[in-house]
Amino acid sequence: MENNNVITPPDSIGTRVEQPVKYTAKDFSSGLEVRWCPGCGDYSILAQVQRTAPEINVPKENMVWVSGIGCSSRFPYYMDTFGFHGIHGRAAAIASGVKIANPKLSVWVATGDGDLLSIGGNHFIHACRRNMDLKIMLFNNRIYGLTKGQYSPTSEKGKKTKSSPHGSIDFPFKPVSVALASGATFVARSMDRDPKHLQAMMARAAEHKGTAMIEIYQNCNIFNDGAFLHLTEKELKDENVVYLEHGKPLLYGHNKNKGIRLNGLTPELVDLSKGEFSVSDLWVHDEHDINPARAFILSQFIEMEHFPTPLGIFSQIQKSTYDADVEEQIAEVQKTKGIGNLKKLLYSGNTWKIE
Amino acid sequence: MAQKKLGREIKLMKGNEALAESAIRAGMHAYFGYPITPQSEILEYLTEQIPSRHGLVLQAESEVAAINMIYGAAGAGARVMTSSSSPGISLMQEGLSYIAAAELPCVVVNVSRGGPGLGTIQPSQGDYFQATKGGGHGDYHLIVLAPASVQEMSDFIFDGFRLAEKYRNPVMILSDGALGQMMEKVELQEEWSLPYTENPWATTGKPASRERNIITSLHIEVELMQEINHRLLAKYEQMKEVEVRFEEYMTNDAEILLSGFGLCARICQKAVDLARAKGIKAGLLRPITLFPFPKKQFAQLGKQVKVILDVEMNAGQMIEDVRLAVNGTCPVEFLGRMGGVIPSPEEVLAKVEAMAESLFTVESGG
Repeated sequence: MENNNVITPPDSIGTRVEQPVKYTAKDFSSGLEVRWCPGCGDYSILAQVQRTAPEINVPKENMVWVSGIGCSSRFPYYMDTFGFHGIHGRAAAIASGVKIANPKLSVWVATGDGDLLSIGGNHFIHACRRNMDLKIMLFNNRIYGLTKGQYSPTSEKGKKTKSSPHGSIDFPFKPVSVALASGATFVARSMDRDPKHLQAMMARAAEHKGTAMIEIYQNCNIFNDGAFLHLTEKELKDENVVYLEHGKPLLYGHNKNKGIRLNGLTPELVDLSKGEFSVSDLWVHDEHDINPARAFILSQFIEMEHFPTPLGIFSQIQKSTYDADVEEQIAEVQKTKGIGNLKKLLYSGNTWKIE
Repeated sequence: MAQKKLGREIKLMKGNEALAESAIRAGMHAYFGYPITPQSEILEYLTEQIPSRHGLVLQAESEVAAINMIYGAAGAGARVMTSSSSPGISLMQEGLSYIAAAELPCVVVNVSRGGPGLGTIQPSQGDYFQATKGGGHGDYHLIVLAPASVQEMSDFIFDGFRLAEKYRNPVMILSDGALGQMMEKVELQEEWSLPYTENPWATTGKPASRERNIITSLHIEVELMQEINHRLLAKYEQMKEVEVRFEEYMTNDAEILLSGFGLCARICQKAVDLARAKGIKAGLLRPITLFPFPKKQFAQLGKQVKVILDVEMNAGQMIEDVRLAVNGTCPVEFLGRMGGVIPSPEEVLAKVEAMAESLFTVESGG
């Protein structure tokens, strides 16, 4: 009964006992009837997650999905893993609790633009700041869907919705900018309509240690249909999307004739077909750049006229995680001070017997 | 189509919309809210109407933000309102405690739904304790009005602002999802301008002629804090003296008294009619103000009737106040439905009949 003040999770949790099993996508489906509107982008995200989950080398029993409240937050019901359908906005805090209580778990958050950035903004920035090892998948449809169509913190200024019939006068958040500024160590963007890319982003996030945020552009076909049409339609996509690839120049356009160069801290669009600039003049993406300034500039493109929307990994850097650091600190203190003994502590100092 | 009758406008409206329309007519300066079912129509109606009328609306980033914007705007001397549904009202409790302590007026509407937790979006009366006992930390009360119709969703907004400003205290309109969503005929009051005079405490700038004022709820000195507690208590005692509102229905010769608030009062009224048709002397006492509670009326009727049946859409909350009020003079039984289930007049009648039968058996046996 010594060391009864040291609390450890039961051995059966988070420890793989049997031999690794080869999973398929089906193994991650709970079999429950999926209750999103027909045509919702969430279906694709669910399918990509279930397809990628077998590949990411996380035992199924160690995977946890945590959500808040909103359409996207129904996600945990559909994954055949443990899960939380939590409190509106609090998914990042609940997930932090899960991770710190049992660091062996692979903790994933399914959240939306209202959940994570409006009511949950505070918890989100602090999870990023701590670099808690969480994988946050932000389903960004730029609208409140569950409450039937009010504007959200990512809705564009001037947007007409049920709660902004004369046009929204709020400036929107740029979620990638918020994540970068808050210290997230893996920040990426993908789309519901780009399944292969989304799978790749999820796989990379799974490998990463620390707060990973993937912003996923997701179409709400009921309340905000076509919000990302210019990025998803075949004839428009090439001209409006630039894929970020580590070590490669920022090149885009149907004929790969457009590029972005960095003139000091100012990004400039260049037309390679004019002969003034060549590929060697272009901004070469470095996703491991320790200085977040360049990733931040990339994150601003969505509000810069004529600039393409970057998809891919904006930043992936190594930094110690809160969950690892706290374990390390405990070990360090125990090494110098010894393992505590609650009984000894209680009987130390001023104790007396009642006669 | 709207028609004018006796200077009032008659319309067919949803409870949430009637309430929102009345807030504009009552001269509300500012509304802060966050979408949540089943009350998002309040926010939506106001955003549609307000720019061409008067006042302003802000969709906050959360209910916590909304109640603090209310704190700020009330402190700046504006007539302010917020609305939400149960989970959102829970988030506002910290702010309400501070606003009550700082003695600022505001109206808070709870179109409540079943809980605990995220619960359901169906109607419930499960927030009675939270609404009437303070809800947040410390010794304070909200004035609580419980509407039972779309008409009262409209009328109580006017009462709400009047009481909030009279007592410099938050007023809660405790409604539910059914009252918010259902459509009924409503006679809208005319534009009403309760004078909102410049208050000495309002943060409106400090010319040399004006005393400085800091709005705060912090009083480190225990004696001072106790003095403030006493002042708040005196205010609540005053409310109990003069602001109690209730409705009696067929209580003169009643032997079985039904008690219920809001939607349940309507169900009970129908059950009383059904019971009377069967020769059972039933009546109804409906509290309209849940705080201050009609304690004296229950005490009086408790001596007259043989038994009380309390009907609520919760696990039994107001029944505690009913029992305290009658103080053992008669038994108080309970019929409750939870999780968004609404009791029917027929099931209330069945319970009344069973109670009548057992009373009769006891009487004839004794």
